[in-house]
Amino acid sequence: MPHFLEITIDKFIFRVAADRLYTPEGLWALADGEQVRVGLSDFAQQRGGDVAFAEVRPAGTRLAAGEELATLETIKVNTVFASPLAGTVVEVNPAMIGAPENINQDPYGAGWLAVLSSADWLADQRRLLDAQAYVKVIQGLAAAEAS
Amino acid sequence: MSPNARRVVVVPCSGIGKTYGSVSREAAYVITEELRPETTALVALSQLVLGDPAARAVVAGAPTITIDGCQLACASKMVRESGGAVAREFAVLEVYRRHRALKPRGIAELNEGGLRLAEALADEAAAVADALTADGQG
Repeated sequence: MPHFLEITIDKFIFRVAADRLYTPEGLWALADGEQVRVGLSDFAQQRGGDVAFAEVRPAGTRLAAGEELATLETIKVNTVFASPLAGTVVEVNPAMIGAPENINQDPYGAGWLAVLSSADWLADQRRLLDAQAYVKVIQGLAAAEAS
Repeated sequence: MSPNARRVVVVPCSGIGKTYGSVSREAAYVITEELRPETTALVALSQLVLGDPAARAVVAGAPTITIDGCQLACASKMVRESGGAVAREFAVLEVYRRHRALKPRGIAELNEGGLRLAEALADEAAAVADALTADGQG
């Protein structure tokens, strides 16, 4: 069970798992050796709303960092999420086919999107944000939307 | 006895300004005004939120179909809070997943996809209402 940072903005509470890295767009990456699990942050899932469909690039797909990894259709918007790392998709969460609501219900757990085999995790992680830095991104986005 | 006492009650989402809320209300109108006007009755969620005694009595005395626009499921929760029994919960999102071609857009005026999605949901709910009526629960 990871430790969470919590941010309250208006009536909303957003949790940021402290044990992983983030893209500014709201994907998290959690490394276990050379394999990196990827999912959507709590802020990103709350902002997007209930997920209707989640399409993740299939196992075997080789991706550069920044290439399209997943497309989520929510009740509000369709969003393309770029891969936080270079590597090969080795597993897609099977729940994404029949139960994409897992993304909303458990974004840091059962709602993970995919596992990638990293090509150069040391290089990729330098471009990502730690939890504290991602909190600042959330606060900046919230401030921009409020103004 | 209330004229609604033997009817299946339909309670849709009251989310204003939300596309899926609009679909839920449109579906409720289709069921109660077009498909099954004789066997169903519409109760506005806002009446339950306000604690309206007549509305509470209606949902407490008849099986209820709820149609929620999002995972907060306010309609289902409020029916239970009001002493009612939810016979079947519908969520617009789940119905949309079965009808992906019917992408709803718009709020005050739903697009064609939204209207057709509401009709699809209403068809499913009408079948549930029929079953409840046939069971003698309505």
